[in-house]
Amino acid sequence: MREQYAWRSLTLASILALVGFAIILQIVRIQTSPEAAIFRRQAAQDAQTVQTFYPERGLIYDRNGHLLAGNKTVYEIGVDLKSVKDKNAVALATGVELGLNPNDLYKLMANPPSNLTYLILANYVDEDKALALQQLKITTDEQTSSSGQSSLSGLEFTPHPERTYPEGSLASNVIGFVSHEGRGYFGIEEKYNDLLAGTPIQESVSIDPNKAADLPQVPDGTTLILTLNRDLQAATEQILDDSLTKYGAQGGTIVIMDPRNGEILAMASTPRMDLNQFWNYSSIYQNASEYNLAVSTPYEPGSVFKILTMAAALDNSTVTPATTFLDTGSFLIGGVTIKNWNDQAWGIQDMLGCIQNSLNVCMAWVSSQMGAQNFYGYMNRFGVGQLTGIDLADEAAGRLKVPGDTDWSPSDLGTNAFGQGVAATPIQIMKAASAVANNGRMVMPHVLYAMVRDGRQFNVPAQYAGSPISVNTAQTLDHMLATSIKNEASLAIVPGYQIAGKTGTAQIPIDGGYDPTNTNASFIGWGPIDDPQFMIYVWLEEPSASIWGSETAAPVFAEVAQKAILMLNIPPDAIRQQIAQH
Amino acid sequence: MIRTIDIIHYAYKQAPWRVQRQWISTFLLIGLGLAMIAALYLDVTAHAALTGRAIQDLNADIIAVQQSNADLETQSATLTSNSAMQTRALALNYQPVQSNQMQFIVVPGYIAPQPVALISAPALQPSAPTIRPEYTQSLLDWFDQHLHSSLSASMLGASQ
Repeated sequence: MREQYAWRSLTLASILALVGFAIILQIVRIQTSPEAAIFRRQAAQDAQTVQTFYPERGLIYDRNGHLLAGNKTVYEIGVDLKSVKDKNAVALATGVELGLNPNDLYKLMANPPSNLTYLILANYVDEDKALALQQLKITTDEQTSSSGQSSLSGLEFTPHPERTYPEGSLASNVIGFVSHEGRGYFGIEEKYNDLLAGTPIQESVSIDPNKAADLPQVPDGTTLILTLNRDLQAATEQILDDSLTKYGAQGGTIVIMDPRNGEILAMASTPRMDLNQFWNYSSIYQNASEYNLAVSTPYEPGSVFKILTMAAALDNSTVTPATTFLDTGSFLIGGVTIKNWNDQAWGIQDMLGCIQNSLNVCMAWVSSQMGAQNFYGYMNRFGVGQLTGIDLADEAAGRLKVPGDTDWSPSDLGTNAFGQGVAATPIQIMKAASAVANNGRMVMPHVLYAMVRDGRQFNVPAQYAGSPISVNTAQTLDHMLATSIKNEASLAIVPGYQIAGKTGTAQIPIDGGYDPTNTNASFIGWGPIDDPQFMIYVWLEEPSASIWGSETAAPVFAEVAQKAILMLNIPPDAIRQQIAQH
Repeated sequence: MIRTIDIIHYAYKQAPWRVQRQWISTFLLIGLGLAMIAALYLDVTAHAALTGRAIQDLNADIIAVQQSNADLETQSATLTSNSAMQTRALALNYQPVQSNQMQFIVVPGYIAPQPVALISAPALQPSAPTIRPEYTQSLLDWFDQHLHSSLSASMLGASQ
């Protein structure tokens, strides 16, 4: 009996051992089978996912800390074709919530491109719309949880950042915009694209919670603080828009710069666009040079250029303010007869009279007295026909023909003296004129005030572009320009402040000559002349109310100057002198 | 003599059921030990998995909060944009000031406002947050690490 039990126990133990051995054998077989290798590979793939971590694009502020360009969350709404059960319901819900055509969405899901398991139904969807659809999905999930399958299953929501501009079209010509692909176009967004965008990091991330790791530290793009004053920019744009209507101009630009350090305080240009709708770019602009007239569109500036001619002549000692010239109404140079703006002879004039009355004949005589080598040498030092180096995309260099160029003729020496036959941008003229306003020292115009990166703010120091004229020349011409404004009772006068400036009325070149009817009206001025805190350039394209800069651009200058004085808190001359005496 | 030894041996030989029980107990003890190790391993692994999942959730929260901050800053900027502020000012019957309405007075010690300083002093850089190995290591990893460290320590001691 006992042996029988022993036999049974042995048999049972053997069977169990055999089963155990078979299980172990099967485990080993499965682990070493070719399929196991495939599964292991697949598991390894699924346990890791390569993610690209994009840094947040740097923000853009004005000089007072107002946000000009930021980021907001938008959603990509897509559908996972493997888990979608009711395409009709998904198409209908998405279509209704997002304002899309449900039929189109259904067709897209019914006939997906081959090998695709995920379809994007809509992208850059505003947060409120996306959350409404997401809420609908949650509600549907709850209602249909008993059946086990949601009718909106498969819908997926992926948040991601999008560039946004809280001020809309304000300073659009300076800021530029960012496309959906994340690339900056025009202005600051293009010029500093690499800094703003930062460097994306691609990293393999484990899905296995046992291998959870820290998120890679992706430094955000550099935040920029601009020299722009938001409120002054808005006021300048408003004045520019009103001026176009008032004077019937085709377009225009107004720039305000601090002549002491080259900081651009405002830069308005037409047309402008709402940066939040950048896709309208091509319907607003015909070509890229129209985006910012102040830096991208060279034009013949006309008499504002006389400032540079007179500065060169005074500095070169070709003339003094007291030098006289007999204006007979015409001057022959290089076979071309130069005439005054009113075709009249002005008799004996000193250099103040030449500037005050904007006499072309006199200025052509001055340049001829200097000689081509001296004249163009000074123009070269003023940077005419060269890039200013302003930190905005798409700056144009303009053109200054010089002796030796195939298309230069001796008559150019005469016409260039009063700003015809030479193409320059407003910012170029401002840079050159800053030497007159700033005791002979020429500033580099710039828009970047500071950069913020890695928890530190780096302020951009002012840069200077040499001293093309002496301190004495600058001060002499400064007073000549201020006196001429005062003597002619110019519309550019700002009560209580001594302003220096010059009008410009330039003919517009057309094929084979100049437009007989239309002009470009300009004015450049700065003040207060004993401590210049603003320099303003006004350019109105083809004003129809009057062809003269003195009747169009000059009053616009005065209006902008008054705004600048208010917003920059510049007391009148008398008060400032009082303060100085204290 | 041999007979005597056999008798003694027989007298002191344990009963078969005792031997069986000892064997069973030994196997049970080994089984129990293995079960305890397995339970400990499972417990640690489960905790590590839960902590890992919590870390993943926190990472997602960090991203969500960053996005939310950016959204709020943009919303704030939109609400205080130049056009919005102008509209609100006009609605409150404010008028734009004209230059002839301005009065300047001399205030000793007045310093004109300067451009914004977004960061006034260099921010303190906190040490990079790292997840301690206790939260990511499995029991085997931990054992392996300690084995390696003690081995390398002993090798270092031997070489000195």
